[in-house]
Amino acid sequence: MPEPMPPEPYPSGGSRVPEDGAIAATGMGGAMDLATSEGETLEEPPVGPDGTGRPERARSLWSDAWRDLRRNPVFIISGLVILFLVFVSLWPSAIASGSPLKCDLAKAQEGSQPGAPFGYDGQGCNVYTRTVYGARTSVTVGVLATLGVALFGSVLGGLAGFFGGVWDSVLSRITDIFFAIPVVLGGLVLLSVVTSNTVWPVIGFMVLLGWPQISRIARGSVITAKQNDYVQAARALGASNSRMLLRHITPNAVAPVIVVATIALGTYISLEATLSYLGVGLKPPTVSWGIDISAASPYIRNAPHALLWPSGALALTVLAFIMLGDAVRDALDPKLR
Amino acid sequence: MGRYVIRRLLQMIPVFIGATLLIFLMVNVMGDPIAGLCGDRQCDPATAAQLEKEFGLDKPVWQQYLTYMGNVFTGDFGTAFNGQPVTELMASAFPVTIRLTIVAIIFEIVIGITLGVITGLRRGSPVDSGVLLVTLVVISVPTFVTGLLLQLLLGVQWGWIKPSVSSDATFGELIVPGLVLASVSLAYVTRLTRTSIAENKRSDYVRTAIAKGLPRRRVVTRHLLRNSLIPVVTFIGTDIGALMGGAIVTERIFNIHGVGFQLYQGILRQNTQTVVGFVTVLVLVFLVANLLVDLLYAVLDPRIRYA
Amino acid sequence: MLLEVRDLHVEFRTRDGVAKAVNGVTYGVDAGETLAVLGESGSGKSVTAQAVMGILDIPPGRITGGEILFQDRDLLTLKEDERRKIRGAEMAMIFQDALSSLNPVLTVGDQLGEMFVVHRGMSRKDARARAVELMDRVRIPAAKERVRQYPHQFSGGMRQRIMIAMAMALEPKLIIADEPTTALDVTVQAQVMELLAELQRELHMGLILITHDLGVVADVADRIAVMYAGRIVESAPVHDIYKAPAHPYTRGLLDSIPRLDQKGQELYAIKGLPPNLMHIPPGCAFHPRCPMAQDVCRTDEPPLYEVDEERGSACHFWRECLHG
Repeated sequence: MPEPMPPEPYPSGGSRVPEDGAIAATGMGGAMDLATSEGETLEEPPVGPDGTGRPERARSLWSDAWRDLRRNPVFIISGLVILFLVFVSLWPSAIASGSPLKCDLAKAQEGSQPGAPFGYDGQGCNVYTRTVYGARTSVTVGVLATLGVALFGSVLGGLAGFFGGVWDSVLSRITDIFFAIPVVLGGLVLLSVVTSNTVWPVIGFMVLLGWPQISRIARGSVITAKQNDYVQAARALGASNSRMLLRHITPNAVAPVIVVATIALGTYISLEATLSYLGVGLKPPTVSWGIDISAASPYIRNAPHALLWPSGALALTVLAFIMLGDAVRDALDPKLR
Repeated sequence: MGRYVIRRLLQMIPVFIGATLLIFLMVNVMGDPIAGLCGDRQCDPATAAQLEKEFGLDKPVWQQYLTYMGNVFTGDFGTAFNGQPVTELMASAFPVTIRLTIVAIIFEIVIGITLGVITGLRRGSPVDSGVLLVTLVVISVPTFVTGLLLQLLLGVQWGWIKPSVSSDATFGELIVPGLVLASVSLAYVTRLTRTSIAENKRSDYVRTAIAKGLPRRRVVTRHLLRNSLIPVVTFIGTDIGALMGGAIVTERIFNIHGVGFQLYQGILRQNTQTVVGFVTVLVLVFLVANLLVDLLYAVLDPRIRYA
Repeated sequence: MLLEVRDLHVEFRTRDGVAKAVNGVTYGVDAGETLAVLGESGSGKSVTAQAVMGILDIPPGRITGGEILFQDRDLLTLKEDERRKIRGAEMAMIFQDALSSLNPVLTVGDQLGEMFVVHRGMSRKDARARAVELMDRVRIPAAKERVRQYPHQFSGGMRQRIMIAMAMALEPKLIIADEPTTALDVTVQAQVMELLAELQRELHMGLILITHDLGVVADVADRIAVMYAGRIVESAPVHDIYKAPAHPYTRGLLDSIPRLDQKGQELYAIKGLPPNLMHIPPGCAFHPRCPMAQDVCRTDEPPLYEVDEERGSACHFWRECLHG
């Protein structure tokens, strides 16, 4: 693009006009903020160089993004890591023999040796086996929580953005309330009395406190999509509400939700581990990296390996999802083209 | 401006009520409010009934909430599990957490903004890619892992710091915990500053400033930074509330007796009054910080007009 | 000559390839003269101006050849610091969109005064006084009060006056105005253009007026350079071009102006689209859109033929064009 682009009235980076009445939200804690704000840069869907939007634009946006992604090493590497994680979650026995629950106190805190490349933890459990089996829990919690949040949040936010009016204001106030509660704190309060040792209470909690984030993104992108000329035209031509939502708005509003959800998936895995570390998340005998890290922290002087391997696996998993989300965002963000 | 502040204050009320009510309900519905009051033992039924009456627990939840809030506004936050008034716990805990938050914010400002400006000005350079990768790693590693690792390395292996913080919790002792608390936000401030700088660098008014023949330094400090830092400053402002509420993990790792520590104790012992009291104050801090940030906009960006 | 651009080449390296934005542009302007540079967007007219000012984004932009002589000094060989001192003081630029070109968080007084503080070493107080004088000069009412206001508090026309005041501040010898009236209401356009022309006469400055609007050009320009795909395709005194264009592209531009005496007829439009700068057609870049194109146009790139002493045309068939 040799000629300078037609100037926009004020570059968006320099001006963040507070949304009317909305309370800026960061109560969810650092990692979740990232997802929110990275998503916000996407809220304005791409506009063609001539300033007009067309329905087929959505399709070309996706195919352009896909072309970019295939050439992006970050996307390929994080994608491969995620595929590997999914594989390990489905068939952990393919790369680790033995049961993660079989522990031998006699071997407690022993270092790396044949059959146990990562050594043994304080209870004499095989760290390698436990790390491999821990992937299943993390991926399950991450994926299910993200699906729940994305579905619940985008339906509520999308409908509120589309119809506006009283329900929109009510929903905005409700999201404000949820944003005002620090997420780890909420988890401690809600989950401290749960005795179930399944993953469901943790997933339920994440959906409960996570939906406002997606709902806000979905609301914003639906409102922006709604204002596009071609949507206004469709309305003027008498298109029904459901047709407008499904055919014209959803395809254009879905990109930011997908990006934020991908990044959020990583943060949910991180959050599960944090809650498990604090003793209110998952409970033994569930195998979880967070539980193992928590259990290993008292032995940190003598057996740091029991802490480092699950921490490394956890960090790599979260990193893979965040990088994937980042790569997708870059590919979908027309401002960077 | 005055009318705007009043409107915002009025809007804060439902959020405040909603958030505290939500926590109040969670604590009451999920837990047993008197469980912690007989020490570690189970209360016998007679004592339990008497305690329930004393604390008004036999009344409906909404009435309990109203009574509680009524007391809060007269400065009575109730009694903690060890018989101490909650306000006394607050008086000892909040200064510690506020110091910790100040350290964290200073890290965000000094390191985050500096790195963000450097990478934003040199977008695409090796420095940029390196810093960007580091920020992603920092964001990906959960805070409790960062904390444990720093404690292991600096405290245990190298002996640079004491692994746990004394009850004084001086600024010097809080440097490493503050860095841990700040880590994720720090990475985020870096990325936000970088994006903002890179975007504004291509703006028309920066081009005008160059065309005016201003020295590069002046273009960057007076024109580019002024505009680019508006979203960063506001992020840091709203982060204050999040940091104070998110200090639980950091305070647990380094054994800091701040707000997070007291909350954690309160939750473990199911002490309603401690938990609800602290959360109420945290929600207030969060709301006030957000209000101040919104007002700060008007100072930083003259285009914003509050009608 | 005050300014002479000779055989300038600029390209942009992007992810998708190299875009050749300017391909051998040569033009000049004298003190007191107005040169209008005409062309569609993407013709390289703005890029050339940015290269002259030294505000090209490098990278992705790159000057790959040519000279820019300003008062007989080649600007491209100067050090950045020397060029900086010329920018703003000796040559200044007026941009299209004053709203986005002015810094939103500084008062107009600060932005005007900055010229005096930086280039003349004045105190902020003196600079503020000069800013008020400048605003008076471009006829902004109540300058003394409005000097403390921010750009968004002014109307479009007033903002463009502030841009002009900023450019005039140090009485430069050359002004480059890049589509100065495009973003304005038609009623305001004339006033702003008039102000610009008046100040130019007063200060005897050279003016390069970049525009795609032939209507504006006719009133104020002395000479016209028409650009297409990064090249000058026709260069001539203004009245000659209106009388008889010597290039089919210029003819196309003139024919596409709506005229009152041809009411009811279909408006002429040049067929096709401007070329992709990454794949400029071989031969004459205009041949795919040219009604007069012959085989030779597809293979041989036309040089700038001398039509007469003051006039050049980059068309193999300029004679036919001139007389047809």
